[in-house]
Amino acid sequence: MSGESANAVPHYHKLCSRVSRIWGNRRGQHIRSAMDKPRPGKTTFVIMVSPLPEVGISKEEALETLQILRRECLADKPRCAGTSVTVKKCTALELLEQEHTQGFIITFCSALDNILGGGIPLTKTTEVCGVPGVGKTQLCMQLAVDVQIPECFGGVAGEAVFIDTEGSFMVDRVATLATACIQHLRLISGAHTDEEHQKALEDFTLENILSHIYYFRCHDYTELLAQVYLLPDFLSDHSKVQLVIIDGIAFPFRHDFDDLSLRTRLLNGLAQQMISLANNYRLAVILTNQMTTKIDKSQALLVPALGESWGHAATIRLIFHWEQMQRFATLYKSPSQKESTIPFQITPQGFRDAAITVPSSKAGASLNFRKQSQEQEEEC
Amino acid sequence: MGVLRAGLCPGLTEEIVQLLKGRRIKTVADLAAANLEEVAQKCSLSYKALVALRRVLLAQFSAFPLNGADLYEELKTSTAILSTGIGSLDKLLDAGLYTGEVTEIAGGPGSGKTQVCLCVAANVAHSLQQNVLYVDSNGGMTASRLLQLLQARTQDEEKQAGALRRIQVAHVFDIFRMLDMLQDLRGAMAQQATASSGTVKVVIVDSVTAVVTPLLGGQQREGLALMMQLARELKILARDLGVAVVVTNHLTRDRDGRRFKPALGRSWSFVPSTRILLDVLEGAGTLGSSQRTVCLTKSPRQPTGLQEVIDIGTLGTEEQSPELPAEQT
Repeated sequence: MSGESANAVPHYHKLCSRVSRIWGNRRGQHIRSAMDKPRPGKTTFVIMVSPLPEVGISKEEALETLQILRRECLADKPRCAGTSVTVKKCTALELLEQEHTQGFIITFCSALDNILGGGIPLTKTTEVCGVPGVGKTQLCMQLAVDVQIPECFGGVAGEAVFIDTEGSFMVDRVATLATACIQHLRLISGAHTDEEHQKALEDFTLENILSHIYYFRCHDYTELLAQVYLLPDFLSDHSKVQLVIIDGIAFPFRHDFDDLSLRTRLLNGLAQQMISLANNYRLAVILTNQMTTKIDKSQALLVPALGESWGHAATIRLIFHWEQMQRFATLYKSPSQKESTIPFQITPQGFRDAAITVPSSKAGASLNFRKQSQEQEEEC
Repeated sequence: MGVLRAGLCPGLTEEIVQLLKGRRIKTVADLAAANLEEVAQKCSLSYKALVALRRVLLAQFSAFPLNGADLYEELKTSTAILSTGIGSLDKLLDAGLYTGEVTEIAGGPGSGKTQVCLCVAANVAHSLQQNVLYVDSNGGMTASRLLQLLQARTQDEEKQAGALRRIQVAHVFDIFRMLDMLQDLRGAMAQQATASSGTVKVVIVDSVTAVVTPLLGGQQREGLALMMQLARELKILARDLGVAVVVTNHLTRDRDGRRFKPALGRSWSFVPSTRILLDVLEGAGTLGSSQRTVCLTKSPRQPTGLQEVIDIGTLGTEEQSPELPAEQT
């Protein structure tokens, strides 16, 4: 409590009568009792509230005193931007209402949207793993455009932050995707002739789309960590951001790392920071990961990189893989959707549904990586 | 130990206190350890009075020994067994979650830990009509999935809404907020001790590893201390306030890299009294299978190594309430 005026603290007198001693201590000064005349400036407090028999108060009163003190101390401290001091609790019913009003970010591949339950959900972290060239960055660029779709067309009308660690962001590709998206929306608005759709379409131009994607380039893990931990300040200034993409979270952490336990700690801290951002600012976080080979019982399996503990970090996990010239997306982990696999394709217009339907027997037989490597071994 | 002062017990007057202070006997412990004959002589106090005083103070301040039968009676009246809503899991846990204990669910990614926690929350809120606190630290809590689980149990929307209102959700993503929240909860519950309705009976922490692992390991030792403080808070919550605590834990590799074991190390392994391990059913092979094996790895009541199979796609729907009371008695 800053010692401006003791009487400003409403429970001061109640405290005086109950608390045996509060020691306050300013840097460099002797420890003195803060129940004496309060002095200006910040003071840190070591509080000992001893219940019976010294002061003659019961345990409940001691608990209440501690709670009053904590509330007063917290109320006087200046609040930091974006963080709430006390933990907000809400009932599951309120959470359900919030989820119903929340939108999803569509991917333009209706099969993928279906298995995700409507699209990429807000307030959750989604991880996309895949071998090189399967379409992870394409999906990220598509989502950076899709997040800006106006609400009357079913989008969330937000902005995007793109953090690039591999240098795979191509502006001309994003321009192509944006142009295709604008044309698609124009076709839809042809059916609706009301003013709202026309007006929204006027704002949805190439310049606007590109100017609302905020691009950051990070060259090593220190820059990436710094960027992520500085994001809250950026997000308070740009409150319309609804999507944060980190393209290539594995790349900076996979080489030049001698201390593996440090890597685990940093990654876990990063994961917690991401889910905390997603929750506090109501945005979606997309992370892309690479694949690595794991030798398990003399079998070679293709698994996501960064180790076992990283598997728990993201809330939703998608794995993209190839199956004889067709791309597939598998939902591996989700709190509300079942595991399933769907085909998709990358066209010049962007991320879309697969054109040819794959026969179901083939899709069912080669879903498990372990089975696939067994088949290959049998062939050899 | 209590400082001697006037009025602490009948017969302890202010002048006796001052005389004893003169002989440097200031607390009850000092008085219990002192040689009373000597004190009586030097302070000119009556020996009989001092002996009587010491007897009264010892009776007031020493711990009460309890015999086993009384302890058993007390446990029988104060412990409640809360069914999880999944019959095979209840078999493993010896009829359900015990209040006063910490139960741990460990498993790899996508093995179903969050689904089991949601099922427990839904069952306790709906069938047992008790309050639940769900502490979410990795974004797994989805209210629409909770609604799905409730809709499988009852079609009445009022009852669904009532059950959802009984589940409180707190989003905490770092350990300091979690400690703050648990301490607030303890304070709030201690104050409401008389009001038996409306108190939380189950606290689910999903997951405790997510908040602790950014701190463990390396040169600093604070991580371990913070983890043990969290453990202490959870155990106090369980024991003193009669709450069943459920935590989820991740799996890490063994030192030789062969098998999987629950994360957070050996120190944490002493905290929960019951531990179960979730794993994908081996041999099923196909992706999209929602079958999981549940294995009991630590229990104070059942032999370890018991295994059951559960289906996380249809959690708790095949178990209807008329079956359970027969199992519990």
